[in-house]
Amino acid sequence: MSALVKYEFLKIIRKKSTLLIMAASLLVTAVFFGLPVVQFQTYNQDGVVRGSRGIAIEKEQYARLSVVLTNTYIAETIKEVQELFKDPENVGYDGYEQFLIEDAYWDGIAPREKLLDMIAKNYAQPNVSVGYNALADMDISDGTDFYQARQDKIEALLNDPDRGLSEEEKDYWRNMDSKVTVPFQYGYFGGWEVIITAFELLMFAILAICIVVAPVFSGEYQAGTDAVLLSAKYGKTRLTTAKVLASLLFGVLALTVHVAAAFALVLTAFGADGWNLPLQINGTAVPYPWNFLEAVLIQLGVIYLVLIAMIGLTLFLSARMKSPYLVLIVIVPVLFIPMFLSPNGTSGIYNKLIFLTPYQSLIPKFGSYISYQAGPVVLDAFWMRTVVYVILALLLLPLSGRGFKKHQPA
Amino acid sequence: MELQLQRLCKQYGKKSAVDHVSVHLRPGVYGLLGANGAGKTTLMRMICGILKPTSGSIRLDGRTIQELGERYYTHLGYMPQEFGFYPDFTAREFMHYMAAVKGLNKKKAKARAGQLLELVNLGAAADKKIRSFSGGMKQRLGIAQAQLNHPDILILDEPTAGLDPKERVRFRNLISDFARDKIVILSTHIVSDVSYIADVILIMKQGRILMREPMEHVTESICGKVWEIWADEREAKRYSQKLCVVRFHHENGRVRLRIVADSAPAPDAYNVEPSLEDLFLYYFNEAMHSEGSEKQ
Repeated sequence: MSALVKYEFLKIIRKKSTLLIMAASLLVTAVFFGLPVVQFQTYNQDGVVRGSRGIAIEKEQYARLSVVLTNTYIAETIKEVQELFKDPENVGYDGYEQFLIEDAYWDGIAPREKLLDMIAKNYAQPNVSVGYNALADMDISDGTDFYQARQDKIEALLNDPDRGLSEEEKDYWRNMDSKVTVPFQYGYFGGWEVIITAFELLMFAILAICIVVAPVFSGEYQAGTDAVLLSAKYGKTRLTTAKVLASLLFGVLALTVHVAAAFALVLTAFGADGWNLPLQINGTAVPYPWNFLEAVLIQLGVIYLVLIAMIGLTLFLSARMKSPYLVLIVIVPVLFIPMFLSPNGTSGIYNKLIFLTPYQSLIPKFGSYISYQAGPVVLDAFWMRTVVYVILALLLLPLSGRGFKKHQPA
Repeated sequence: MELQLQRLCKQYGKKSAVDHVSVHLRPGVYGLLGANGAGKTTLMRMICGILKPTSGSIRLDGRTIQELGERYYTHLGYMPQEFGFYPDFTAREFMHYMAAVKGLNKKKAKARAGQLLELVNLGAAADKKIRSFSGGMKQRLGIAQAQLNHPDILILDEPTAGLDPKERVRFRNLISDFARDKIVILSTHIVSDVSYIADVILIMKQGRILMREPMEHVTESICGKVWEIWADEREAKRYSQKLCVVRFHHENGRVRLRIVADSAPAPDAYNVEPSLEDLFLYYFNEAMHSEGSEKQ
C-alpha cells in the first residue's frame, strides 16, 4: 500500500500544473496575509507611522500595558480618562460627541486606545459601538465591577429575542463562559489579532488544492489509463484507497505550507507575543475559554476538516465525471457562492446553514454565540462544523473510491 | 487452463455491442479480426473484468470472475488501444507503479521491471520521462507492463496501430516471444500482423463471432472464391464499383484485379490461393463500404 500511495502522490506533485497552481495560490496567500503588515498604520503627534515602524511603536506601547485587568486597575484607568475630560482645554466636540485632543489624547489615550475601547465596550449595550470617550460620563462612584458588567452584557446577549436561543442553549453558553478565567491578563497580541481576522483567506489555498486533486480519478478516465488500472489485481481495491490517501496527504501538506507561510509572515512582522493571553481581551463578551494560540489551533483544526471534506467532495465528483473541468464546475461554486451569502443574524435555519458552508466555516466568529440544538444536545459552531465536516468526509471519501471501482471504461 | 466465454452479451440501449458470444480458449495466440465497431474492444474489456456483461458469463477453469475476485486479475495482462501514460513518470517508475497496482512485491517488481524494459529494448531509456517517448516506445512500454505479473491471459487491443513497419515487425516478434503457454488474444484490423503470429483466427462482426478456425485452415472457407482477372482501365473501374476488389494493379497498360466473389466475375477469371486479407475483405467489405460512404 505504501508504494501505491507514494506513486499516486508522485503523480499529483510531478505535474507542472500542480506546481503552477500551488505557486500561484501561495503567492495569493502571501499577498493577502502580507497586506496587514504593509498597510499597518498607527498615529503619533508627528502623523502616520506605517508598516514595520508602526508595528514596532505599537508593540512598545502595549508592552507597557502587560497588566492584570483587576477591577481596581480598570477603575483607576477610567478615572484617569475622566480626569482628562474634566479639563475643557483637552476636549473637542464634533457635533455628535466629545473627544480628547492634543497632548491629552496623544499622551493619555493613544498609547492605550485599544485597551480603553475594550473597557468602554464592556459597559455598552450589546451591538452598540462605543469608543474610549464613552468612559467620560461613566458613574464609577460605586466602583466599576468590570466582570459583573461583562456578565450582564453576556446575559443581555443570550436573552436577546433576535437570537432566539433556547434555555438549553443559554445554559450551554453560561456553562462555557463559567470556565473563562478572570481577571484577564492584558498585553500585546497584534499578530494573533491579524490571524484571527484573516482565516477565510485560506479559502484560496483550499480551492487550489481541490483543483490539483480534481484529476485524481477523472484524469485516469481522460487519459485512458483507467482500463489498465482496473484490470490489475489491486485496481479496484487498494489503488482507490491509495488515491484517496495520496490526495489527503497532498492536501494536508499543501495547506500546512500555506498556513506556515501565512502565519510566518504575520508573526514575523507582528511578533508571536500574546499567544497565551485570553481571547476576551479582544472582545470581552467572547465565551470561549481559550487563549489566542488555542483559539487559532482549534480554528485551524476546523479548517483542516473543511479541507478534508472538500477533497472528499472533489474526489467523489472526480470518480463520477469524465473530465476534471466538470469537477471544477461544481466545486468552485460550492466554495465561493457562500462568500456572497451574508447571514442576516445568528438565528433561523438559513443563517445557521450559512454558518456551516465551507467559506463561512473559515470565519471563527468567536463572539457570535452561534449554537445548534438537536433535542437536549447543544453544539457551538466549532463543534457543529466539526461534526458536519467529519460526517461529510466519512461519507464522501469512501464513496469516491466506490465510484472508481464501479467505473466501466467506455 | 481454459477461458470460457458463455453466451456473453453487452448491450448499450438497444444496440448489441457483443451478441451471445460463446467460445472456449486454451493456450495459444488468438487473432481477433473485425472492422471498427465490430465489438472487439467491448469483448476484450469484458474478458478483462472492467466491463460488466449484460448477460452471460466468463469462467476461468470453471470458476466465474465473480467467484475468483481479485485472483482473476492476477492471471491477466492487458494492453488497451490508445493507452494513456503518465508523461511525468520515467519508464522505470511507471513499471514500478504498475507492479504495485498488480500486487507484486517491491523486490520482485524491481527485478522484473528492469528485465522487461531490457527485453522490449527500453533499457537505455528506462530513466527518461515518458513524455519524451515516441509512439513505438510507448507501445513497447505498454506491452512490458502487461507482462509484469507473468499473466496466463494476455489481451492486446490493436497493439500495432500507429506503428511504422519496422516497429510493427519488432512488436510482432515481442508478442510471439511473450505468447508461450499463454492465452493471447490479439485484436487488430491489420491483417498481416495476425497472419504472422496467430494460431487461431476469430472473426467478429456486429458483436458475433462469425468464424473460429486455426490459422492454417482459416482461408479454406473462401477457397475457389478468390479470382484474378485482367481488364482495361474502364472495365477495372466498373469491377471495383460492383465487386470486392482486393488489389488493383496497373501492368503494361492493363489492370490486374484480385477479386473476392462467390462466382467467377468474368469468363476469363482464374482462381488464386486465398489469403487472410482476402478473407477479411470477404467478411467486411460491406462494413468498409458503409464506413466509406459515412465519411463522404
